[in-house]
Amino acid sequence: MTLFYEKYSAALYGVIFRIVKKEEVAEDVLQESLVKIWHSFQSYDASKGRLFTWVLNISRNLAIDKIRSRQYRVNSRTQPIEESAALRQAAEPSFRPEHIGLQEMTRQLNPEQKQIIDLLYFGGFTQSEVAEELNLPLGTVKTRARAAIKVLAKLIR
Amino acid sequence: MNIQEYIESGILEQYALGELDDAQRAQVERMATEHPEVQAELEDVQRALNAYGEAHALTPPPGMKERVLANWQAAIQSEPGQAPAAPATEPVVRQLTPPRSEPAAAEIAPSRVSWSMAAAVALLLLSAAANLVFYNKWKQAENDLAVAQNQQASLASTMQAVNKNLTYRNQELAVLRSEQFKTVALLGTPAAPDARARVLYNPTTKAVYLDVRKLPAPPSGKQYQLWALDQGKPVDAGTLAAATVAGDSLQQMKDIASAQAFAMTVENEGGSPTPTLSTMTVLGKM
Repeated sequence: MTLFYEKYSAALYGVIFRIVKKEEVAEDVLQESLVKIWHSFQSYDASKGRLFTWVLNISRNLAIDKIRSRQYRVNSRTQPIEESAALRQAAEPSFRPEHIGLQEMTRQLNPEQKQIIDLLYFGGFTQSEVAEELNLPLGTVKTRARAAIKVLAKLIR
Repeated sequence: MNIQEYIESGILEQYALGELDDAQRAQVERMATEHPEVQAELEDVQRALNAYGEAHALTPPPGMKERVLANWQAAIQSEPGQAPAAPATEPVVRQLTPPRSEPAAAEIAPSRVSWSMAAAVALLLLSAAANLVFYNKWKQAENDLAVAQNQQASLASTMQAVNKNLTYRNQELAVLRSEQFKTVALLGTPAAPDARARVLYNPTTKAVYLDVRKLPAPPSGKQYQLWALDQGKPVDAGTLAAATVAGDSLQQMKDIASAQAFAMTVENEGGSPTPTLSTMTVLGKM
């Protein structure tokens, strides 16, 4: 598990932290994730996807559960989007080499795409919730989300 | 709905983002197994989202690793029943993450290196110590050998001396036992009344031996000299060695053609051509 931690903790912690936005909560969630990964490892099916996908989804789901269960959800919904984006921005540490990839991705995504992908990926929003939040037709949200993911897919290819 | 429409419906993104319920997920998975295009598209979406998540990687604060792993271990030990008891898959879990051996495994490499370093150093020291011991033993053996060789040499020379001595004594014995030798007893003169000596004379071989019984030590720088008296004329028969004077052994003197009496005088060292009659110590007639 030490090796596992060394390999995945930064990626998992990064995602969890972006979702819950608090260090102590992120630590709790990371730990819960490890326990859950340990206990449900039998249900991991290699044919359904990469181990990292599976592990990342467990962490992400736990983190989203966390912000839904607490008042996070309410708060972030009542917050203007700009503010929550600013909050995310503040959470990012100063320049790190591992974020070169992030800068490149952010540059390639247009602001609308980034906003939607962030809400979906880190905000725990569903596509229809995003549509509601941004006062956009669901179709537009779906299109932008697909476009954003296409851009990312092209970047890593 | 054809495959392309299905892909473009956005359901794969929803699947990847975890928005779908169990039934919808099962349906997507079924589509993915049936249609390679769906499978490929789904993988692309997942990879893209993984990359996006990974790009946000953050190094956890220091100290978190220890806390999280300790709590994780406590959690999985306190609730072992929570893991579905599936004996067939259990070994897989163990294999991936054995809780205790994992930290040990991480340290095996450096500890193995330092162990072999320690072993190498220990072996080196051991070998050096052994070398020292063997070197000392070798030196000791060399010394012993030298001593033994010395002893052997001295023993050999002693043996030679003894042999020589024995030969000499045998000759003496032969002289003493021989019937060809005539014994002439020399008695002390008034100058040295206690002095006694014998001359063994072989008239056939002309050999003369002197056997001192008792003689006063000669003054320093002086020596006893034996004379044969032939027709009243003294003939030099040689000077006496110190060992002979002390009575250690017989001394063969110069051959004498004929004699009727023998006498000894004290002369300057090295002998003298004519006897100093005043110093005559012993005298004997045949």
